Amino acid sequence: MTGTKFVYITYIRATPEKVFDALTQPEFTTRYWAGTVQKSDWKKGSALGVYTPDGRLWDSGEVLEIDRPRKLSMRWLNEGFPEMKKEGPTFITYELEQQGSVTKLTLTQASPLDDCKVIGAMSQGWPAVLAGLKTLLETGEAIAEFAKWPEGI
Amino acid sequence: MASSLFVYVTYIRAPQQKVWDALTKPEHQKIYWFGGHQESSWKKGAEWKMFMPQHGLTDSGEILESDPPNRVVIKWRNEFRPNLKEEGYSRCVMELATEGELTKLMISHTIEKEHSQFVEAVSGGWPRILSSLQAYLETGRAHGDTRTVAEQAHK
Repeated sequence: MTGTKFVYITYIRATPEKVFDALTQPEFTTRYWAGTVQKSDWKKGSALGVYTPDGRLWDSGEVLEIDRPRKLSMRWLNEGFPEMKKEGPTFITYELEQQGSVTKLTLTQASPLDDCKVIGAMSQGWPAVLAGLKTLLETGEAIAEFAKWPEGI
Repeated sequence: MASSLFVYVTYIRAPQQKVWDALTKPEHQKIYWFGGHQESSWKKGAEWKMFMPQHGLTDSGEILESDPPNRVVIKWRNEFRPNLKEEGYSRCVMELATEGELTKLMISHTIEKEHSQFVEAVSGGWPRILSSLQAYLETGRAHGDTRTVAEQAHK
């Protein structure tokens, strides 16, 4: 078994601290990440919940490693779709590195399962999430479409 | 057949024609593409060449398909690093689509070779180039240090 892995790299003209906070704090995530809120006290071993704009728990998880502003690793379990929850958790890691005036952000999502459906679905969504994050931090203005939760879900 | 593949998708808040122009016109490329630029008429069958300030000609090939401002396919070979040139021609597809106020840009780069060093090299380059392109089109300012970063990468 080889597992499934998705990696996406982007460069954002902002400090690593700013990018790190924008990935985890509701005042940012609600503006580019489909209106969602992540709740956690962001300490190693702490629980993590991702909530839809109408307050439903969409993903649950745990903070596995946190070293602001360099690294954050989390276990994520989708709670919204039964067929995805059945697959078990995936592991999401952000790595941030300052390079001159930009921060290199590397996202990795991994699962021990071959052909993991959660990663198949999320890999379609990550480019929009991270492009929206970049636009918000670089221009100060979010993309309206990316702040909305998809209709009917 | 065994092959290597790199795919990158991003969304840029700019009209599709502007993204197309920025991808294909030297006056834009020089600002966000590590100081490099490309020469081509971007018509099917046309020659395509890429130049970098510190290396001269770095890549060359041919336009295999062209449908401005929606899609272009480039037959693409590295010319200045012997281990990459040896791998032969790759195929680069750029696809653009309008989604509301955004342009969705998808770049894929493939070569008919397993564990390709060429695809590994472009996998490192594309995220930097496309991040700088997005900043350039959305803020008017490319990532200023892309050139120095590229120079370090080539040392």
